[in-house]
Amino acid sequence: MLDKLERIKGNLQEETKAINTLKGAEQLRTKYLGRKGSINDLMKLIPTLPVEKRAAYGQQINSLKIEITDIIEGLIKKFSSKTIPKNKTEIFDITLPGKRPSIGKSHPLTQTIDDIKEVFARLGFDVAYGPEVESEYYNFEALNIPPDHPSRTDFDTFYIKGDILLRSQTSTVQIRIMEKQEPPIRIIAPGRVYRPDTVDARHSFMFHQVEGLLVDEGVSFADLKGVLNQFIKTYFGQDIKMRFRPSFFPFTEPSAEVDISCSLCRSKGCNVCSYSGWVEILGAGMVDPNVFKAVHYDAEKYTGFAFGMGVERITMLKHGIGDIRLFYENDMRFLSQF
Amino acid sequence: MKISYNWLKEYVYFYLSPEEVADRLTKVGLVVADVKPVEDDFCLDIEVTSNRPDCLGIIGIAREVAAAVGGSLRIPEIHFVTASDEISTFINITLEEPILCPRYTARIIRHVTVESSPEFIQKRLKCIGLRPVNNIVDITNYVMMQTGQPLHVFDLDKLTEQKIIVRKARSGEEIVTINGARRALFHDMLVIADSRRPVAIAGVMGGKETEVSESTRNILLECAQFEPRQVRRTSRALGIASDSSYRFERGTDPEGIDRASQGAVQLFKDHAGGEIAGGAIDIRTGRHETKKITLRMERLHKVLGVEIKRDVAVDILTKLQFTVLNDVDNFIDLEVPSFRGDVYREIDLIEEVARIYGYNNIPTKTSISIRGSARSKYEIVEDTIRRFLTGLGFYEVKTFSIVDTSPLQSVNLWSDKGSIDIANPLRQEESRLRTSLLPSLITTKRYNMDHGTERVKIYEIARIYLAGNTLPEEKACLAIVADTDFLTLKGIVESLFQNLGMPLKQEWTGFNESKLFLDERSASIQMDNTVLGYLGEVTGELGFKTQSCLAEIDLDILIEKSLFAKKYQKIPPYPPVFRDLAIIVNEEVTWSSVEKCVAEAKAALLKEMHFFDVYYGKQVPAGKKSIAFNLCFQAQDRTLTNEEVDSSQKIILDTLYKILGAELRKA
Repeated sequence: MLDKLERIKGNLQEETKAINTLKGAEQLRTKYLGRKGSINDLMKLIPTLPVEKRAAYGQQINSLKIEITDIIEGLIKKFSSKTIPKNKTEIFDITLPGKRPSIGKSHPLTQTIDDIKEVFARLGFDVAYGPEVESEYYNFEALNIPPDHPSRTDFDTFYIKGDILLRSQTSTVQIRIMEKQEPPIRIIAPGRVYRPDTVDARHSFMFHQVEGLLVDEGVSFADLKGVLNQFIKTYFGQDIKMRFRPSFFPFTEPSAEVDISCSLCRSKGCNVCSYSGWVEILGAGMVDPNVFKAVHYDAEKYTGFAFGMGVERITMLKHGIGDIRLFYENDMRFLSQF
Repeated sequence: MKISYNWLKEYVYFYLSPEEVADRLTKVGLVVADVKPVEDDFCLDIEVTSNRPDCLGIIGIAREVAAAVGGSLRIPEIHFVTASDEISTFINITLEEPILCPRYTARIIRHVTVESSPEFIQKRLKCIGLRPVNNIVDITNYVMMQTGQPLHVFDLDKLTEQKIIVRKARSGEEIVTINGARRALFHDMLVIADSRRPVAIAGVMGGKETEVSESTRNILLECAQFEPRQVRRTSRALGIASDSSYRFERGTDPEGIDRASQGAVQLFKDHAGGEIAGGAIDIRTGRHETKKITLRMERLHKVLGVEIKRDVAVDILTKLQFTVLNDVDNFIDLEVPSFRGDVYREIDLIEEVARIYGYNNIPTKTSISIRGSARSKYEIVEDTIRRFLTGLGFYEVKTFSIVDTSPLQSVNLWSDKGSIDIANPLRQEESRLRTSLLPSLITTKRYNMDHGTERVKIYEIARIYLAGNTLPEEKACLAIVADTDFLTLKGIVESLFQNLGMPLKQEWTGFNESKLFLDERSASIQMDNTVLGYLGEVTGELGFKTQSCLAEIDLDILIEKSLFAKKYQKIPPYPPVFRDLAIIVNEEVTWSSVEKCVAEAKAALLKEMHFFDVYYGKQVPAGKKSIAFNLCFQAQDRTLTNEEVDSSQKIILDTLYKILGAELRKA
């Protein structure tokens, strides 16, 4: 009887050596542990034995069963982990593109305004807003642009009714803030402005400006240069050069236009800079005493500077965009690039 | 203004190439936009700002060059001989409007020969883009370009009764201008008339009938000063802009008139012959008062942030032809030359010094005093919304605030006061301020559909304009268009509210706007009796191929309702118990009434309630529906027993039965 057990065990060990697939291992399991398998055959013999031997024999079959189970399960485990890649027909390609979630974007003009806000926030400037539908007083008179003055031609304007108009510049916010607040003042005012220009690649009847204003005691033109230099280097890059040219704005004196070295051609001359190596990016100057007078500030005690820039213009320069209309078409193929 | 390089060199001494001069001029504020070779000369195209009419003559530019590069000015002397006949025997001039015409001068040359002008004049005029006509006309243009002072010549024999009257036009009067156009004049326009009719629109353009022709023998040269605003108004009203009106409306030099007149007369004599009548007519009201201004050195330093020595400032101002009146250390008393009408305050002098000193020689200060700055709530809300929507895959768009007057663009969800029209639109397409952002977003979606992007998720944050009393109400709005179903966009909006710290206690009530929304699929969103916004599924009329939803939300109210202060809520240490229930109710019973009813049951242990399904079908009787939801029970101080949850659930079910007749659906 015990021989039989030993023989089964011996046979299994022999057969095990020849097994090298999961299928073989599973066949082995059926052969030994299945309903008609060797172990079950042994179990069937128990009732034929003398009563006193049955318990011991049963124990021995059980321990053999455990032993065989261990061996076969081990084999199955071994081959099943091994055979997974072998069983699959495809090879996993880790270079396939990742499944990218669709993330939206802020409009490029918003991104520019955010960048500008951030530079100036670090210099202590608050963000201020004002109405877009304004009176002539805020758009012109308070900014030292009297009626019938030729400089009004530079600020052609959409009118609504009477002296109500669409602001042609964000400088209106200067007046609104100074009327409400005493110096020191440090604000930037981003927003939409409107001018009756026929739309083409360079012009739009609506565009965005950011106005800046700083008023305090002892503020000088040298401070204006410093603040704008900080902005230009941060926004356009440390290697960009800045140039101030005298100009004229009714609300500043002295007034300046600020050019930066053309980054597209590295100042060698291209059509963006009209072959001059310089590109105009903003207007600036010391707040005109007449503007302080309009808001009842003491022009002897306080000095200040103001600047204004076109958001479309600097965005176009930064990204090499050649047509302002793209900003308002909102083609996803455009918006997704920024 | 275009100038000739060779001509400029005649008036100022320098050794600079055209490009070098262009660079110097640009640095003092006269931007040279272009330098172009013309035969043996160069044409410099200079952008003269509206405050500098003195630079609308080449002598003015020469003055700037002299100051910028240090060369000396060489203005030619004028010599001519007059005949014995006095001018007053040939003409009678009356000035009726001394305010609109502060100075009027005239000279007469008789027996001129009208022919081509000499080559040097023709060449210079051509260089700056002017077409030579004849010696008389060319000389007036030449002197205007030289001095910045416009001049006009009349054919003396065509002036009725040898009279010139400077007066206002009479109603019904007309004039044919030298360009051949007939113009109706209005009574507020200033004209030069003879005894019968207007012969020129003062400062704007001369009349055809009295212009110089080949048969002209005797001429009257007008050289005057006209009030700038008057010229500007007339020029704008008639739509005539001339070289002359351009200069007059910016302001001419009251003391430069006689020199220009004499210069022209000398050239007439030299190149058209004839004899100059003795004397000149010169009518003026009062004399030009020389302005005196003091420049304090300390103020100069304060404004510019750099210490400029007194003698440097004196040198600059002297070269610009200001007269220094004192010799004291800490300030300079100055007399302003008559051609600098733009300089009348100390700050104007500071700019003159800074300009010539060089803006680029003023230091760039690298430090600034400390000042705190914090984002306003508006910015925090705007940034939060942008980040939230960007994360969900939305693109921000920007569309025009000025729109057309189509029915779609007339959508106004917020007010019934009507819209605001532009009085002077360029085109009908841009003639009205928008009252909703949604039509523009719909246009944007359509644009993308037509350009190959079928599905979009877009939003815009901008203002809409609602008619108000004087100024309109500018309401900041958030508008969303997305290819989703109603509940998906509703969910996005609800999550957004939560992101802004708002409680989810909005009321969604039916709302119709058939131009935008599908009926029965749109809602007004309210909270605390205030409308937050509108949301709905797009009407089929708009022709979208995909199911799309729209929302427009009042940003100002979100700012008011948002709450960013967050207080920690203790996480319950005891586990929640969940129960899924399905009830059968009449089909018109809404989820929100179920929610309200459950709230009314005041089941103490109920913590949350979540909808998960609504079902119509075989297992539900006709006219009824099944609503399934999940209840979450939890206590802060103990693990709940089944019995406790059962009794709490029973209270809820009883209330649902009592109020809504809801029955528990058996599985």
